[in-house]
Amino acid sequence: MKKLPIDDDRYGTPPQSVLLEAVCNSVQDLVRRRFTESALPWSQFVFSASDRLITKADFESIEKQLLDSGYRFNWSAVISQRERPEIYCAADGASDDAASFSFDHPDALVGEPDATGRAACGQGENVVRRPANAVGIARYVRSSERVIEFMNQGVPPGSIAIIDDSGGTLTAPILEHFAGIVCAGGTIRSHLGILAREYGIPCLMNARLRGIRDGDRVELETSADAMTAEAYFTGAAKTASIWKLAP
Amino acid sequence: MSRPEISYAQLLETNNLIQNCGEETYWLCLTRTVQGSKLFPVSAYILFSYLNAFYRYPSLLRKIEASMPAEAIADRARNMGMKIQNAAIGWALPNFYLLGRELLITFGMLRPQDALEDVIYVMDFWKRYVLSWHRNDGHLNNREYGQRAQILPDRRLEVFHRDLYSCEPGDALHEAAHSFLATASQYGFLISCESRISLTNSGPYRLDDRHEMIVRDFMDLAECSLPWLDGVAADVPYNYLTVPMSVRDCHFSIVDDWGSFESKPEFTSDKLAGVGLYTSDALSEGFVPVGMGSREELTATFRLLNDKMKEATRKLWLRIAGWTRDQMLDAGALTYYNIIKDLAHVAGVFAVEDWLTIDARAERFRPLFNDELSDQLLGSLVVGHDLPGHRQSPYTMMQHSDRPVRAYTPLPYSVLAGDDYVASCGEPQSGTSHLDPKIDRYRTTQGVLTLEEYNRRARDFTPELCGDQYRFLCETWVKYHYRTPLAQDLYRLEQRQSRTLQGKGAGPR
Repeated sequence: MKKLPIDDDRYGTPPQSVLLEAVCNSVQDLVRRRFTESALPWSQFVFSASDRLITKADFESIEKQLLDSGYRFNWSAVISQRERPEIYCAADGASDDAASFSFDHPDALVGEPDATGRAACGQGENVVRRPANAVGIARYVRSSERVIEFMNQGVPPGSIAIIDDSGGTLTAPILEHFAGIVCAGGTIRSHLGILAREYGIPCLMNARLRGIRDGDRVELETSADAMTAEAYFTGAAKTASIWKLAP
Repeated sequence: MSRPEISYAQLLETNNLIQNCGEETYWLCLTRTVQGSKLFPVSAYILFSYLNAFYRYPSLLRKIEASMPAEAIADRARNMGMKIQNAAIGWALPNFYLLGRELLITFGMLRPQDALEDVIYVMDFWKRYVLSWHRNDGHLNNREYGQRAQILPDRRLEVFHRDLYSCEPGDALHEAAHSFLATASQYGFLISCESRISLTNSGPYRLDDRHEMIVRDFMDLAECSLPWLDGVAADVPYNYLTVPMSVRDCHFSIVDDWGSFESKPEFTSDKLAGVGLYTSDALSEGFVPVGMGSREELTATFRLLNDKMKEATRKLWLRIAGWTRDQMLDAGALTYYNIIKDLAHVAGVFAVEDWLTIDARAERFRPLFNDELSDQLLGSLVVGHDLPGHRQSPYTMMQHSDRPVRAYTPLPYSVLAGDDYVASCGEPQSGTSHLDPKIDRYRTTQGVLTLEEYNRRARDFTPELCGDQYRFLCETWVKYHYRTPLAQDLYRLEQRQSRTLQGKGAGPR
């Protein structure tokens, strides 16, 4: 088997991810094989020949090798898992319809209810400091179906969106109707954080939550200091609390 | 055909530009964003776009330059609000190309010296373009200027400034402008498949001790060269909108090469003190006022546009929600890859096949781009820098990270000592798309045109301010010649549609 030009890399080390290493190795093996079979010098192989000799079917077979080993991919876009559930990990908890669903982050700061029934159930990073805390009813929004439901029926006044998508597209048609937003991911600079600021909606990003169910009454400490670039750099804690209130 | 001779100086300069881009990309990706989407397979489409960029940008940029040089297109960019600013050309053009190259080096499909002339050409195009576009601030990019972008000339800033309508929290204009800005931002993220590339900002520009102006551009809003807007955006009357915005007691400390900003204190709508509204495109005489006749007209215009964009958002979201993963992958990849497509619109050489299809050489990689691998590979490419090609001598300390890594592989100087190389990846190959074909309708400032007509008019059109008489009348010239008839003409030309400055010319400051 011929060597690839990158095979004699003085400094190269494998990537940290085992999956990434496996795929890079598989692709390099494929290129090495095709290069050898072509019997061409590299300069004739690199574009004109390899463009023909390395095919989509080759990359399909690399995916198949991984799947045959029993590996299943994590998914990030719902559509990926829905279309090809056989190649992705199960989508447990991906929908909003389970009334019993709640985020359950191990680092959520939780506490017992105080005299008023208010109990800590997590913390997040405040996008913009507001004069007062935001209070409302928690509504999970984690799927297109839920968005369509809200498009058709309207977002109930005083709703606090509980979201795990820090992007600005999933909730695009309904976002402005929420009285508050809690996002279990991203940062204040994520698209959702940017949009919350543009709309003037109280918002906590990168939230660690435990025990909030759809329909719970919640309070967000949006009167806390806003998260800052400096705090991200220094790693300084700058969190805002999230409480569950008595019904 | 004989090869052009590659010089040591060319390689030195190209490698400097490559290094500049790599360090900037690391800083931007590390500090400016953490994105995720449950709707779009974002990492997958980003990687896909990088490969398409690698295989096609060199040929398509040469095609554009056969019609209009990079520097001349950038002169236009300095005088309007099309998608030929940041992040499109200032950052994405070289970096998408270089990230595609790095990916192929990682896979063992490319040596550092392969496509050598392509790499030199793409980086040279970028350098000439951004130096021309940044002519007024004299920098290569915002990074070099300490994260600031003072692109616009004095004559345009003066019109933007003097024609602003003041507004205060609670008044009708403030409320309408605030709603419009939020809606247009939201719509922009959706148009661009969860990326921020439909929005950009330049500035800050100092107005007085308490006020700064930021100029915000919203792009690709109507039926344009993004096929998923066909039909759903038919009622959006402008494809490009520019909003100069005066802000009180708020300093824009960062305006980066992605065109996004950060301020101290955090910008919130209550700090908005003045607004204007303009449109422009490849066929307009620079910025054209929209609804700027009176405060009431501007308020009504913001409200109308707000309603139209909300409706377009609703329709577009429903269209996207019905897409397959392949359609989402294509739309996202094309959004990213064709982020530089407006260069072709200005040059009058836009072709659907060039900008709205995935090249066969990139298409073959589709099966690799599952969500998990894409997330990991993208993370390693832009921030992790743990792919074998990134590793350098252990004595190396990369800017920002101090690690023995380098974001992009330089061109090897050994080609000057006789090492062989391949000049180019070749011409674009036929492309495909899972999306509905583009309908032949393009919203311009001269109405809805077919592509052929749009291209023809663009090729035949030169805005007066970019014509031979005025093109090189720079800020330095104005400083010492403002009393001359030519300077008066230059300023009056810019002031043609100004509500407050029409006919006033260049007075002393």
